[in-house]
Amino acid sequence: MKVLTPECVFTYDGSLDGFFTVVFHAFHDRTEPSAIIPRGANTQIPLGSIIDVDTSVSKATRVRKGVVDRSDNRNVRLLHVAFLTGMPETNMLLWRYLKKLFQHPPGYFFRNMLDEDVYALVQTARRVRKEVHRFQGFVRFQKTKDQIYAAAIDPDNDVVKLLAPHFRARFPDRKWLIYDTRRKYGIYFDAEKLSQVELKGEAFDLTTGHIQQNARAMDEDYYRTLWQHYYEAINIMERKNHRQMRASMPKRYWKYLPEKGANWQTG
Amino acid sequence: MKAKVLKKLNILADAAKYDVSCSSSGSSRAAAAGEGTTKSAGICHSFTEDGRCISLLKILYTNHCIYDCAYCVNRRSNDKPRASFTVEELADLTIHFYRRNYIEGLFLSSGVLRNPDYTMEQLNAVARKLRNGYRFNGYIHMKAIPGADPLLVHEAGLLADRLSVNIEIPTEKQLIRLAPEKDFASVYRPMNQISQQMLISKEERKKYRHSPRFTPAGQSTQLIVGATPETDYTILKLASGLYSQQKLKRVYYSGFVPVNAHDKRLPVLKQPPLVRENRLYQADWLMRFYHFRHNEILDENHTQLDQQVDPKLAYALRNPHLYPVDLDKATYEEILRVPGIGVRSAKIIVANRRYGRITVAYLKKMGVAVKRARYFILCRELPQTSGMIYPEQIRKRLVRQNASAGEQLTLF
Repeated sequence: MKVLTPECVFTYDGSLDGFFTVVFHAFHDRTEPSAIIPRGANTQIPLGSIIDVDTSVSKATRVRKGVVDRSDNRNVRLLHVAFLTGMPETNMLLWRYLKKLFQHPPGYFFRNMLDEDVYALVQTARRVRKEVHRFQGFVRFQKTKDQIYAAAIDPDNDVVKLLAPHFRARFPDRKWLIYDTRRKYGIYFDAEKLSQVELKGEAFDLTTGHIQQNARAMDEDYYRTLWQHYYEAINIMERKNHRQMRASMPKRYWKYLPEKGANWQTG
Repeated sequence: MKAKVLKKLNILADAAKYDVSCSSSGSSRAAAAGEGTTKSAGICHSFTEDGRCISLLKILYTNHCIYDCAYCVNRRSNDKPRASFTVEELADLTIHFYRRNYIEGLFLSSGVLRNPDYTMEQLNAVARKLRNGYRFNGYIHMKAIPGADPLLVHEAGLLADRLSVNIEIPTEKQLIRLAPEKDFASVYRPMNQISQQMLISKEERKKYRHSPRFTPAGQSTQLIVGATPETDYTILKLASGLYSQQKLKRVYYSGFVPVNAHDKRLPVLKQPPLVRENRLYQADWLMRFYHFRHNEILDENHTQLDQQVDPKLAYALRNPHLYPVDLDKATYEEILRVPGIGVRSAKIIVANRRYGRITVAYLKKMGVAVKRARYFILCRELPQTSGMIYPEQIRKRLVRQNASAGEQLTLF
C-alpha cells in the first residue's frame, strides 16, 4: 500500500465518465491532482485530503468533445483503451496528456510521438490491445447443461468489454458468458444482446476456472480431454523451446487453460 | 466409440505435426448465418512446448499412404500404427473444438489413400460437411493433393480459405531421388491451377460482387531444409519465384527432423538445423516486408546465409557504401535497410522526425537494436565514424556481443 501526499487526491467511481468528470473539475478549479484513483481502491489516503467527484455525464461529455475538437474520434478511442489498464499511473499519464492536448492548438500535439506522454499513451493502448488480441485466443468456453458456453478469464487489463464484439460476431446464435474473476463481472450474450452480469457464489473454481461438475454438459469433459491430448500430440519434442513458448504465452495466463492448467501435467 | 476417436486423434495429430504451417491469417469473414468468422491477422489459441502456435486443428484425415517418400513419417514402408477418421468424426471434432474457442478452424492434410482423387474427395467431404452441414464460417486450410482431378481441386478451393501444396524438396533432381513416385510437375500443376483460379475469381468479383471466392487466404507451401544439399541461394531463389509467379502468400521452411529409422539417402543430423531455418525465415521476411530481392540477400558468390549474423546485417556489411543512413533525411526504404530497425520503428521515424530530432534514447525506447544500428546511422550523439565503415571490425564486435548474450532464435 502506497501513502500518497495529502494535497488534491481525486476519487471517482472507476468509470471513464467519472475520470473525465475529475478532469473537468481539476481544470475548472485549476487544481493539480497528485493522484486520481477509483473509490475503494487498495491505496491508503490520509483523511481530509480527498476530493470525491460524483460522475456527471454532461461534464464528461464536454471533456470528450474537447478531445475530439483537438484531435479526432480515434484518439478518444485510444484514451479509452489505455484507460482500461485501471492503474493509477495510467490515470496520471492521461491527465498530463489531456493537459498538454488542451494547451496546444487543435490537430498538432496528439500526433507528435516524440512527446513522451503521447508515446507512453500509444504504448499503453498498444499493450491493452495486445491483451485483447491474446484473449481472443485464450478464452476457453465450457458448455453447461443449459447450453451456455461459459469462460473464466483473469487478464491484466479490464478487457472483457472489448472482447465481447468479437465473440458476438463469431457465435451469433449461441449463448455465452465471459467472466473476469478478478474484477468480478462478466459479459453475457443471450443470442440477442450483450449484458453486464455479476455472479454470486463460486460459479467458477478460482484455481482452474472450471465450472461446477454438476453444471457441466455431458460431453464437456470428453472434448476437454481430447483437446489436452491434442496439445501433447502436436508438440515436436526434438524442437523443444520453452523460452519461445513462455514469451508468446506467459505463465500468468496458464491457469484457466485446460491444456496448461494445474490438473494437467506440463512436461 | 469415444475411446476410438481419442486414439485416432493421438495418431493423426502426431503424424501431422511436421507440417509447420499454422497461420489462420489472410482471410477476413464477418459474421454471417451459422457460426464462425475469420480475422485477417489470424489468432493463436495456444503455444506448444516447442514454442509454435496452435491456431488450427492440424490433423491428417489418414496416415495410410501409397507413397514411400524417404523424408516422410507416414511413408508406406514404416511400421507405424495407422488410422483414418471418418468425415463425421472430423467435422464433429472441429466444430466442438471451435465452439470452445480452442481453435480458429481446421488444417486438414492427409496421406494418400487408394489414389489422389479418392483422397481429395474425402477432404472435400469434410469441408463440405462443415460449411454446408454446420454452416461453419471459420478458417479451413486444406492440402491440394498432387495428382487429383482439377475439378476436385477447384471444389476444394471454393470450400477452403487456404490451399497448400508442399514442394518439400527444393530441386526436382533431389525430389525424385527421395520420392521416386513424385516429380515437380505433379506439384506445380495444382499450384498453378490454384493461382490462376484465384486470379479469375478476383476478376469475376469485380464484375459480380457475389461471385464465389476462391481460396481468399491464398496458397502456401513448405520446403524441407537440410535433408538435401541445396544452398540457401537456391532455396531463396525458388521462394522468390513462388512469391512472384505463383503469388504464394507464404513459403514455410522446415528444418529437417530425421523422422525415420536411418535411410542412407538422407544425412545423419544430431539436431534439426534450427539456426539455418531461422536465418531463412529472416531472409524471407526481408523479401516480404523489407523490399529486398533474393539476389540482394545472396548471389552466385555468396550462396549460404551467414549463420553468425542476421541477413540484413550481412547485407549491410557487404555494402558499406550505402551507409551511414541519415535518419533525418533518408527515405523510408533506406531506413528499412538499417540493421536493427524494424518496419514499425521505420514508420514511426518517418512520421515523427518533422517534430524534432530522433535521439538515441528515443530509438532505444522504440525497441530499435541500437547496438547494431549505431554503426549504420548518422546521429549527433554517437561517436562520429567520419562516414567510414569498417565491416570486419563491426562484424567481430557484434558477433562477440551475441555470443556473450547467448544464441537467440526469435522471429515469430
